[in-house]
Amino acid sequence: MGASASVAPFLRGGHAQPREAGSSLSSGACSNGIVSGETNAAVPQRDELACLEAMRRGEPDCLGEFFEVWADRLYGLALRLLGDPAGAEDVVQEAFLKLMAGAARIEGRSRLATWLYRVVYNAAMDRLRESRREVPVPEETDEAALPAPAVLVDFRLTPEQMVHDAELREALEQAIDGLPATLRASFLLRDVEGLSTAEAAEAVGVTEANLKVRLHRARLLLRERLAAFVAARGDGGRTA
Amino acid sequence: MSCEEVVRLLSDYIDGALAAGPRAEVEHHLATCHDCHVVLDTTQCTILLCRAARSRALEGERRRLLLDKLQKACRGCSEDRRPDGS
Repeated sequence: MGASASVAPFLRGGHAQPREAGSSLSSGACSNGIVSGETNAAVPQRDELACLEAMRRGEPDCLGEFFEVWADRLYGLALRLLGDPAGAEDVVQEAFLKLMAGAARIEGRSRLATWLYRVVYNAAMDRLRESRREVPVPEETDEAALPAPAVLVDFRLTPEQMVHDAELREALEQAIDGLPATLRASFLLRDVEGLSTAEAAEAVGVTEANLKVRLHRARLLLRERLAAFVAARGDGGRTA
Repeated sequence: MSCEEVVRLLSDYIDGALAAGPRAEVEHHLATCHDCHVVLDTTQCTILLCRAARSRALEGERRRLLLDKLQKACRGCSEDRRPDGS
């Protein structure tokens, strides 16, 4: 099975290219319905809210349950932002210590998620700035500067095949790590952690409009890099 | 609607955030433009793969040590709240 790749002057003409007869909007591997975010963070968990209440009362016993729910999510975000396991652990510790110190000021699970991610994001960005690995970037508002898709290749893999394709997953990890931290955080919070646009914007401290531009830019960059990988491999994907 | 405009609106389309009018225009374009359809599909594939790839967990001994440290800190906070300061 060969990947049908073209590196074409896409968009330069600004006109629709004809599609094959009989194709439909749902014919692509991943086009069976619109991909929507907000899958994880919006579901209330009663135990977690009860745990937060207990922490408000200064009871430490529930910390373990709370840790089970949040440690991996916070660590995963911190690690992807910092690329440093020890630093990511420190950031998670900082977030939990701040939570214990300020639990009384958080209302509800949605606000809790936003609060926790914001603490992790700010702590990680502080570390990146201190280590001078991340240069601050101005707010993304210029949609005209969006990356134009250049590599047009059908992945020709089912979602299940993609998930089990170790090379593709590694290419994706590298693509995510290669994004600027501000784009990476916006993408991870919105598309991986499932925050709403408003929640993700609050977590990283930008307007919803800015968040949407960052998210869009990140998606296009990741798509481009993954498409380039599939095109270079030239076989439409292999299963590990 | 041009390919450029479709790409500009692609995330809003994917997220279901477009109003009926622009959404219909995007879908009309996608129905006739193979390139834009590929960009849509591969973008959705990328998002799906990213969601499935979330696996960087805090593991083993490091996880236990961090929880121990936090529990000690939490107990310390509770003791600090005692009225007699003991």
